[in-house]
Amino acid sequence: MPWDLIIFYMVATICVLCAVGVVASNNPVHAAIFLVLSFFNVAAIFVMLGAEFLAVVQVIVYTGAILVLMLFVLMLVDPDDLPEFHAARPVQRYVGVLLGAILLLEVGVAIIDRTVTGIPGTASREAVDVVGGNTQALGRTLYTEYLLPFEIVSLVLTVGVIGAIVLAMPERLGERIANRRGTISLGHPRGTDFALPVGPLEESPIPGSARDEAVMAGPQEFGRELVMVRDAEEQPVVDLRR
Amino acid sequence: MENNQPLWLTFIVAFILMNVLLVGMAYMTWFERKVIAAFQDRLGPTRTGPHGLLQPLADGIKLLGKEDLIPGAADKRVFYFAPLIVFVTAIVGVAVIPFGGVIHLFGQDINLFVTDVNVGALFILAFSSIGVYGIILGAYASANRYSLLGGLRSAAQVVSYEIILGLSLVGIFILSGSLSLRDILARQQDTLSIGGFEISNWYILSQPLAFIIFLIAAVAETNRAPFDLPEAETELVSGFHTEYSAFRFSFYFLGEYISMIVVSLFASTLFLGGTGGPGSGEYWGLGILYLLLKTVLFLFFYVWLRATLPRFRYDQLMGIAWKVLLPLALLNIVITAFIRLYANDQIPSSWWRTIVAILAVVLLAMVYQAYAAGRAERRTAAG
Repeated sequence: MPWDLIIFYMVATICVLCAVGVVASNNPVHAAIFLVLSFFNVAAIFVMLGAEFLAVVQVIVYTGAILVLMLFVLMLVDPDDLPEFHAARPVQRYVGVLLGAILLLEVGVAIIDRTVTGIPGTASREAVDVVGGNTQALGRTLYTEYLLPFEIVSLVLTVGVIGAIVLAMPERLGERIANRRGTISLGHPRGTDFALPVGPLEESPIPGSARDEAVMAGPQEFGRELVMVRDAEEQPVVDLRR
Repeated sequence: MENNQPLWLTFIVAFILMNVLLVGMAYMTWFERKVIAAFQDRLGPTRTGPHGLLQPLADGIKLLGKEDLIPGAADKRVFYFAPLIVFVTAIVGVAVIPFGGVIHLFGQDINLFVTDVNVGALFILAFSSIGVYGIILGAYASANRYSLLGGLRSAAQVVSYEIILGLSLVGIFILSGSLSLRDILARQQDTLSIGGFEISNWYILSQPLAFIIFLIAAVAETNRAPFDLPEAETELVSGFHTEYSAFRFSFYFLGEYISMIVVSLFASTLFLGGTGGPGSGEYWGLGILYLLLKTVLFLFFYVWLRATLPRFRYDQLMGIAWKVLLPLALLNIVITAFIRLYANDQIPSSWWRTIVAILAVVLLAMVYQAYAAGRAERRTAAG
């Protein structure tokens, strides 16, 4: 068996196994690690197909940025605060299976179509070599033939960025803190960082100066007692709504 | 130019390169301690061997002999492999650095590089972005709040600075028309004549702004002082590697120093003409020597920064990235693209040339306006 075929099967097997791992693992962080491995192996397959640029972009964008942010969020949230990882609602399960099946069908049709008709795609090795390489070919296609979709995608992303900024606007920060139920603070036992009544600063029930005095007076005015614990888990979860 | 050498020869080159890198890393720690000692009017290591030259060896043996502790609450499998990610991704980057062309030795044609990927520059960026997983996962697996905070800082920092690192190189890609480090190197061997002087066309001359941005972003990307917030000793008790000991810790240590060396090699190749220098065309050994000298220059700069500057505050770190470096990098790309269009006569008529020139001036004025407005706003806010 030629070497590249052996390597391909190795990479493809790892890729599929990791994809199964994403769905099957109980720990969300482990699922994210499997997803990283899966993406990385897909990038390896891109390299074997001669699409080095695509492979590198896959690694930089998906594994290097998007999944890092995903892990970032997963690590910020206490696993106990998450809804149970595999407890999807029936509707979600059915929709998930349906979408997966449609995607599989699409890819399958695309592959079988080429195999049955026997017509190679326009991006053959020769066509790519004419323009000077894979990167150049991709760039030309993207900025001529697909210019409009490309620009629309960039517009959508810009809207997304602006939307994120609007959601995180400082004016609404006080309100959001007031509505917060649990805590994601990492330095304190759960629940204990809510010693002071918090609310939108302007609408605080206590006038500004009085509130400042209360803060200066120490936690016994408004807060709960200090509990000495050896680690975070020892402290019983305090229900803040009472 | 391209030489299809047998696979075993590539393996030997890679093996030699890896070992040289590991020894280089060991002596990088010695170099750093000596230089910082000189900055602080001390002597540094002196006891082990002449001038303390055996100190790295002693440190290595010490680290091997220590107890390998694993916290009880740790996610054990992740805890085991996280340091290896940092180490491996740091070392892989060196594979695309060209140490010269093809040489003839022992009756074989040997490439002085491991591989010539046609996206070499992005390859290094990609692996440095994978390296952050070692830090994040190590931090997560330690089950320690300080580690987790270090890991979170590292994730945000590396993702931000990666963008700047990539954008600062776009100017070079526009000028050289290639992403391959060998092509970029070859383009820098051309000579420019300015007022009768013949000088090499190093990209530091045509891309000075990009060079400065790259330098700053590279320091942040390798988590070095003054941007070493993920391991800030004073706040986070070493951050992500608090729980790591013995040889597992040393993998983080190795990874950090190797990625410093690789980034320095990368910067020398991109901006300082890599192996270029007088006489390097005839003697390949001289080319390697020039490359190493330039690399040592960058490494000294790294140590210099650590010895001189205090650590940044976290919001300052992010502010510099998004409010200063990113706009500057974008400006650099726009200016480079305009100049390239002019130089290549790719703008058809003189009318268009005028319009493009006016647009460029208007754009620059707008950038300056925004900068001045922000400055005035900060002034009023401050006082």
